Amino acid sequence: MPRNILITGANGALGLAIAEFFLSHEPEAIVHLGVRERRERAAALAERSEGRARLVTLEITDPEAWKVAIEQIGSVDVLVNNAGFHEDALLANMKSDQWSRVLDGNLGSVFHGCQAVMPGMMRQRGGRIVNIASLSAIHPPAGQTNYAAAKAGVVGLTKSLAKEAARMGITVNAVLPGYIEGGLPQEWSEEHLKALKMQLPMRRFARPAEVAAAVFFLASPEASYITGTALPIDGGMI
Amino acid sequence: MLTRQRLKELLIAELMLDLKATDIGDDTPLFGPSGVGLDSVDALQLVVMLEKHYGFKMADQEQAKQVLQSVDSIAQAVEGAKAAA
Repeated sequence: MPRNILITGANGALGLAIAEFFLSHEPEAIVHLGVRERRERAAALAERSEGRARLVTLEITDPEAWKVAIEQIGSVDVLVNNAGFHEDALLANMKSDQWSRVLDGNLGSVFHGCQAVMPGMMRQRGGRIVNIASLSAIHPPAGQTNYAAAKAGVVGLTKSLAKEAARMGITVNAVLPGYIEGGLPQEWSEEHLKALKMQLPMRRFARPAEVAAAVFFLASPEASYITGTALPIDGGMI
Repeated sequence: MLTRQRLKELLIAELMLDLKATDIGDDTPLFGPSGVGLDSVDALQLVVMLEKHYGFKMADQEQAKQVLQSVDSIAQAVEGAKAAA
């Protein structure tokens, strides 16, 4: 049976890389690209995938939207909760809606996604959930009280749900990427990026495919005894 | 026909219990230290299992608590629902 893979945030650099990794390493898989208004890159991928990648409109903070999307797909074998964003500010200046938006978008959405796919995975007694957290969950910089709290929350959710789902053949894991090429704030200057790289053991950022490879492995049938992990992908940063 | 034996075998297989069907009495409590020792995750799985295999749906958690006490109570509830249908 071909597996149904659902990836949220599929228009972003990492989401696209994960989708492409599944398409090239699992020829039978059908990859569902969760998108909102911004979808041009995902649409282009769907276009050239010969029907193996399909767009799904999904407002990840809305439980009803999840229900509709899951019904449309049928049964989800692999859920990759990849969508996320940050709105950095020092706590002293952070507006309360910046806090709630980031918590809801990065953590609430993961809760809704897991809740939406679990009944189907329980019935089929198997499934893979991979949550894209962040190195900020365990090694947060200043200015990310909201984002770091949300991502640490994703790690906590992952570990707790892993215990709930273990006996049902469902694994739940998180990956914690550090800096990823193409996923950095556009306003960061060339000098700032250079200085940042100098501080990294590998003196470079992760390529999206290097994160996608870990996601693909955790979602594979072979990773059946790995659950509740939070895997840093940081080129040796911590 | 839902036999107690079949139900015990299903329970052991679905919940991955390291037991034989003869280890579980018809009225052995499924939950708690004096019985089989199932937990809340098992309860959730039992609800899914009964729906999948017997089309038996729990109305709420209160009903689940009543029904899932023992193999006997499960068998009675499932048979009762079938008779009513």
